[in-house]
Amino acid sequence: MPSIGDVSERMELPVHARVVTAEDVRTYGDTGGDRNPLHRDDDVARAAGFPGIIAHGMFTMGHLSAAVSRWAGGPDRITRLAAQFRAPVFMGEEIVAGGRVKAVDVERGVALLECWVSVERDGRTEWPIKRGEAEVLLDA
Amino acid sequence: MNAAAAGKTYPGSTFVVDPRRVGAFRAVFDEDTGVPATFATAAEFSMIPEIVADPEVGIDFTRVLHGGQEYAFERPLREGESLTVESTIESIKGFGGNSILVLVTRLAEPSGVVVCTARSTLIERAAG
Repeated sequence: MPSIGDVSERMELPVHARVVTAEDVRTYGDTGGDRNPLHRDDDVARAAGFPGIIAHGMFTMGHLSAAVSRWAGGPDRITRLAAQFRAPVFMGEEIVAGGRVKAVDVERGVALLECWVSVERDGRTEWPIKRGEAEVLLDA
Repeated sequence: MNAAAAGKTYPGSTFVVDPRRVGAFRAVFDEDTGVPATFATAAEFSMIPEIVADPEVGIDFTRVLHGGQEYAFERPLREGESLTVESTIESIKGFGGNSILVLVTRLAEPSGVVVCTARSTLIERAAG
């Protein structure tokens, strides 16, 4: 896990990628308590104007949280996390989480991160999460 | 939605940070240890049915999208602990035919010491 002396502004987090499957999204819905049919029934998703089911925003954010957690040395290090959901994620797509150190607060012993999740779709980069923020505790 | 419901608080149910559920949640996101930060949303979801069913709010959950999410932790959640969960509707605003509800949920120790504050933005899309 990173200590204050190791962390500097603009340092990049390792990217963390996964392919989103309907099975994983369904398992997330069962575990997290969100069984909205938009995330498990293609007919419902099509009626809502999507080509098929979409991942929960919280599925995408859970993946981002895991990326931050890996870098920080575990979820207990995360003191703040914020994201806005800007674009849907479809099944079979690869979501890629990344981040960068925006500032180091030596007094409080925390790093402030900007973080994001991108997906390549039809030759373009889409940003399901574009300007996420995290604050993580650093070792002294 | 009914903007007059802003400020309404839904008091204290108990939420157990169930180790089996935490383990299943960790497995989804390939995390090894601890309680994932976004697990706090499971506690938010324990409050959602009451709010959705509240005629004073008048939300149509079939038209709701999750617009954003924030967490502030005073300390991490601990597996096996019981927390009280209380939600407040911070605001309800109209925006181009959509309605935007901001829900703030506090997870606290039985003594009242807050462990985590979660803020969810829910967007109810215009009907039709």
